[in-house]
Parts: sequence; structure tokens; C-alpha cells
Amino acid sequence: MPRYFFDIDDGHRTTRDYEGHEFPDRSAVRDEALRALPTIIADELPDSDRRIFSVKVRDERDVTVYFVTLTLVAEWLE
Amino acid sequence: MATENPLILKLEHGARLTDEDRRLLRSVAVETRLVDARQDLIREGEVPDAVHLVLDGFACRYKMLDDGGRSIVAFLLPGDFCDLHVAILGHMDHSIGTLAPCIVVEIPRVKIEELTTHPRIARALWWATLVDEAILREWLVSMGRRPAHKQLAHLLCELLFRLRAVGRASDGMFELPVTQEELGDALGVSTVHVNRVLQQLREDGLISLQGRLVTILDLPALTRFSTFNPNYLHLRNGPRDHAVKEVQEPRLV
Repeated sequence: MPRYFFDIDDGHRTTRDYEGHEFPDRSAVRDEALRALPTIIADELPDSDRRIFSVKVRDERDVTVYFVTLTLVAEWLE
Repeated sequence: MATENPLILKLEHGARLTDEDRRLLRSVAVETRLVDARQDLIREGEVPDAVHLVLDGFACRYKMLDDGGRSIVAFLLPGDFCDLHVAILGHMDHSIGTLAPCIVVEIPRVKIEELTTHPRIARALWWATLVDEAILREWLVSMGRRPAHKQLAHLLCELLFRLRAVGRASDGMFELPVTQEELGDALGVSTVHVNRVLQQLREDGLISLQGRLVTILDLPALTRFSTFNPNYLHLRNGPRDHAVKEVQEPRLV
């Protein structure tokens, strides 16, 4: 199975994936990348009202093959 | 490495065993079997006629999910009975498999029943079952209420304390022969997330990882971070080094 590396940026710190993970197909890679995002936010609620979370997926050639971001925009209305 | 049987080291925390009790316990743990990593010891639905005891290695209790995934609900370490309750419950409601190569002993049900006629041993076995339940309660709290990074930190603290109780950890160091995927199955989070959290704990100077060797670099900080309190492990002697004293409850036996 091909190996993919998931680098995660929570807006404060980037964690580079050195181990990699095996997935049978591209749709499983996408699922994993999407699943990672809410878990990151759940770990530590963002302290600011603007924040961009992202997951960058590299393949074995170190080429970025998938990129997903989640943007948090929050504001007090009154 | 301890030379004493890990079962005895463990049960000493649950009852004041006599030399005769120890001799008896040693006598049931003689016919050992080496089992490779990632083998089932027993599957859901089976009706085993023997109770499995882990003497060395790393195993787990798990349930398979509809989507082919696996949920690990307990880690079984040296000195742990895999299925003591089966002597009473009959069929297995979950599976048990090895994660690393294990040395296991199969103790026939009748032998277990015989052991329970000795009051201190009966008490110790009951204690072991209650501690299993207490660990499950703590995992439930972790799963439901602790964010993944604290959940993983909490698990590492637990493993250190449990392995140390059976002489399998020293100086905050122990072997963790499981993959990130297996850790994810135990925490209920994705492999990718396990990787990230492990890296964060390393960057923050709380742990170091060399292959399968985990070193807890700053136990007080790790226990504070994960709100780990070893009271639920009910270890009699408790941890001795000063690093841990501050997290101990005074009422801890």
C-alpha cells in the first residue's frame, strides 16, 4: 500500500509527519485528512477568533498531493 | 528485568500472600507458550476452557467494528489475566489478541476454581478483576472527556505505573511495542492524530521515543498535563520516587 505523510498546522504550530501512514486508495487519504481537522480543534479550543487549520498530505516522493484547510472566523455581534 | 513471576508481583498489591500462596501461583504458571505478535488468543463467541495469563509481552482486548476497524478496550500486560471472568460468564463477548510476541499460560478453569478456595488468592483475583474495571472506568472518562493529547499522556502514565508494578519499567522507561495505529484504536482517534500528539509531547520535553522505548522525561509535568491520578490502579506500595509523590492522594492505600 502506498505511504502518505500528513503535516498538520493548527495556526500556532506545525507538526511534520516523519512516520507516514499506509492507505489503500486516495479516498481513504482524503477521509483521514478531513477527520484530523475537528480532532485538532477539539484538543485545544482556539484562543483567537481567526484561525486557519490545515492538513498537507505528501506522498512517498515528497510531493504534496492533497491540501485541506479549515478556517475559523468568529466575532461578537453585540 | 524482574525474575519473579509478574503474576505474583501484581497480586501482592491485592492481598498479603503467604509463601504457600506464592508456591501455588507459581505452580499454575509453568506450562508457558510463546505466541507471535498479532495473533488471536481467543475470539468473541468462543467458550474457552482455560484462562489465559500473560507472563511477558503486550496483548489487548478488542472488538471489531462494522467498517472493519477495531476498538481496543484494554491493554494486557505481564501479570494480567486475559479472561478470568470467563470461568463464570461462559462465552467471550470480545476478542483477545497479542500485539507483541507474548509468553502466555493457559490455566484450566478447574485450576482457577481450585485457586479460589484459598482465601488470600481468591481475594487477590477479585482485586485484579476490580482493578480491571477501575481501569475501564478511567478509560471511559478519558474517551469521553479528555482531549486526545491528554488522553494519550494519561495512557502513558498508566502504562508506566502498571509496568513498574510488575518490574517491567524503571527510571521512567518502558517498552511500548505497539504501532501508532494500535494506539489510535485504543484512544479512538486517527493514526495521523496519534502521530501529531506523540510529536507534541516530545517537542514539549515530556517524553522521548527511541523505537519502541518510551522514556517519561518529566513525570510530574506529564501527570499534571493529563490530570493522572494513580489511585484507580490500587497499587499497595505506591510509587517511591519523589517525582510521583505529589500526585498521590493521601488516602491511597
